[in-house]
Amino acid sequence: MLSERDLPLRLIEERAFIDFLGPQDEPWLRVLLAEMARFEGRRRRELAERLAEPLPCEAPYFKRRAATRALLRLWRLERADASAASSVESATDGAPASGARPPRPVELRAQLFAEAAARDARAATILEEAAARLGLSRDGLVDALFADLPGERPVRGPDPEPTAAEAALRTNLAIAQAVLMRASRVELRVEGGVRPIVRLAKLRGLLCTIAETADAPRPVLEISGPFSLFRHTLLYGRALAELLPHLAWCARFELRAACTLRGRLATVALESGDPIFPAAPPVCFDSRLEERFAHDMARLAPDWDLLREPEPVRAGGTLIFPDFLLRHRLHPERQALIEIVGFWTPDYLAAKLDKLRQAELPACILCVDEDRACAAGELPPGMPVVPFRRRVDAAEVLRQVERLTRSADSRAA
Amino acid sequence: MRLVFDRGTLLLADLPAGFQAGALRGVLWDARVGAFRAPARLAYALASELRRRGVPIEAQPCPGLAPPSGFRPFELRPYQEAALTAWRQAGRRGQVVLPTGSGKTRIALHAIATTRTACLCLVPTRVLLEQWTVALAAIWDGRVGQFGDGLRVLGPITVATFASAYRHMPRLGDKFGLLVVDEAHHFGQGTRDEALEMSIAPLRLGLTATPPAPGPAAKRLGALIGPVVFERTVGDLAGRYLAPLERITWRLSLDPDERREHDALWEVYRRARRAFEGNHLGGSWEDFLHGAARTDEGRRGIAAWRRARRILAFPRRKREALALLLGHHRSERTLVFVADNETAYRVAREHLIMPLTCDVGRGERQQVLARFQAGALRALVSAQVLNEGLDVPDAEVGIVVAGRLGEREHVQRVGRLLRPGAGKRALVYELIVEQSSEVRQSERRWESFAFRARSAA
Repeated sequence: MLSERDLPLRLIEERAFIDFLGPQDEPWLRVLLAEMARFEGRRRRELAERLAEPLPCEAPYFKRRAATRALLRLWRLERADASAASSVESATDGAPASGARPPRPVELRAQLFAEAAARDARAATILEEAAARLGLSRDGLVDALFADLPGERPVRGPDPEPTAAEAALRTNLAIAQAVLMRASRVELRVEGGVRPIVRLAKLRGLLCTIAETADAPRPVLEISGPFSLFRHTLLYGRALAELLPHLAWCARFELRAACTLRGRLATVALESGDPIFPAAPPVCFDSRLEERFAHDMARLAPDWDLLREPEPVRAGGTLIFPDFLLRHRLHPERQALIEIVGFWTPDYLAAKLDKLRQAELPACILCVDEDRACAAGELPPGMPVVPFRRRVDAAEVLRQVERLTRSADSRAA
Repeated sequence: MRLVFDRGTLLLADLPAGFQAGALRGVLWDARVGAFRAPARLAYALASELRRRGVPIEAQPCPGLAPPSGFRPFELRPYQEAALTAWRQAGRRGQVVLPTGSGKTRIALHAIATTRTACLCLVPTRVLLEQWTVALAAIWDGRVGQFGDGLRVLGPITVATFASAYRHMPRLGDKFGLLVVDEAHHFGQGTRDEALEMSIAPLRLGLTATPPAPGPAAKRLGALIGPVVFERTVGDLAGRYLAPLERITWRLSLDPDERREHDALWEVYRRARRAFEGNHLGGSWEDFLHGAARTDEGRRGIAAWRRARRILAFPRRKREALALLLGHHRSERTLVFVADNETAYRVAREHLIMPLTCDVGRGERQQVLARFQAGALRALVSAQVLNEGLDVPDAEVGIVVAGRLGEREHVQRVGRLLRPGAGKRALVYELIVEQSSEVRQSERRWESFAFRARSAA
């Protein structure tokens, strides 16, 4: 993550605005990329030294620092053994003495420094003698001494080399993430694709709750950590920042976060359309089981649409994220939510059903894996459950949905 | 009622009807989960407060790991005993302030051995992680747990870097009853303090040679670890327990070419700085960097400043002086301190002495220290690795070629040499370039050291 010193920000009263890189920055980004490309195959330390100095063109200071650091992460160090071998080979003109394995730098160091400590001779003399003994040139030996250490290893640019536009997007992501690293909690309004965000947040040990804006058109999620209650902690910053590139796959999002920036608390707002490099696209299905079920249903029910991960449903103070929504194409009022349940207990299913009832949903079906019951006991009576083993019976689910939605229709009539 | 550990905090569950938990110190209502919550560090204080108020507690978090046993006995020096006694008398919470080289680690080892509860030792660096693990293995047969440097092994005695503890305390926080915090001065300033707040450990021992000056940081450290319960300075221990120290400063000149280049670069920098200050009175260094990058003159100024600094880091006369000193002290173990890794490698190449940098791997570092201790290596050169806490026994000579991090770095560096030895007199050479920014830096460093050592040096 970028350090706070590298962030191009404007702080106006209690708000912070990120100066995102855009097309206007591409000319100097191209110069920066060219400068970095010049150091392909040279030591990382040399590249870092060069990048610490200004570019030969005007470049906004903080943006340039941020871009340098973001891009430097894409440059890879040559492997230590490969780097050391090539260094020793160049020192021996490709022919190590007596056909033996060329010594590794760590061995060279151990031998040479111990010898220098033991003998009362000049460093130059010791070097020349050691070089002659190893069949290396003196300068080659000196070069090979540290060839395996990170700063001394050659760097390789990414393949393909990023364009200036991509470099700008990657830098923007790094900047926005570095800003969120200084947040203790975020407030998020999301449309489409909420579930992966909530799942990722929970996986990172965060708490997701619905903020008290019940009449808002979209659910407002507040994501924070247990300790955020006590003070503005940066403990969860990394986890919060990790959510950002995944938001790019939501249909719409608005994010607000209070961040500690330049010694004070400022609110940052990010939203759909901000020029941020996205994460890899989310996987279509959580499991092979879900994928097969979707495939079977598509074949079996041409008049029904199966929507994966529909909009979450409010139930009490929480959100429920059903796996699927099955909806009749001609009679969209005929629809049912479908959840595929992995590990379960009867109590868990009863609580789940209770939640769904609180949400006053017209129809909901739980598909329950019979092999994954975690406690003995009968299923609660009256529960719309489709048990399965290894594969969800799409035909049975469809029958249940038709029965439930038809009876709902008739009740409505 | 139950106190439940939840990721570095405590949840108050099954509260008696009508009980006002919000009135308890540190307890807040968490609307996110519909329960009262408190930081984990208050676990024991909260439980005793609840009992005092007559609230029965059915369950509360207590160290989840079995207490270690089977320690080998070892001796302490009188002042180490006194420090331990002071800590015990303070309810086993507090900081011990002792100079580098006086054996703070041994005090902690004794505390761990006698407290008989699972213990988590927090250390600032990976090098110290390894050093503490070795020190613990020397007095205890069990497997020492490690969090940091790519390892995540839990044990009744575990050593963790500050960074790892910060990241993993939500799940480590209810495992230990004793926290030992090495180089405790790193805490108290807000950064990573959560590592101490998210642990239920009621017993805490902080170790430092450079405690924060009185102020908010010291106060906060006192709340997190406990007050300073014992303090001795270099002056108190010099002679018998710490080697006496002799300081020799060599003021060196740049050679004419270097002087010309340095002054020219410095002038370019000063011009840019003056131009900036003309428009931004009182602007910070960061402001200058920001503003200077917008103009050709400013960009040249920044580049010139960097190059001038590089000249001062290791000019010809420093190289000659270093060669002379290394030759003169051939028979003594010598530590060379430089400003950056690049200079460390240059010194290593020129004088064939082993560099100890952050780039050198764990295995090699261990071997190097063992060889240095055995006398198979006579000198080491380092930029920062030797700055803090690393146990380098019996180095007699220190050569400060250059530094970057100011007064605290200097105190720690000099401390490397103060470990006592029969007839030992520690010698610190400082190489500074006259008519340069190094003169003032050197004065400040020694003023600070003298302040901490109170006349002993």
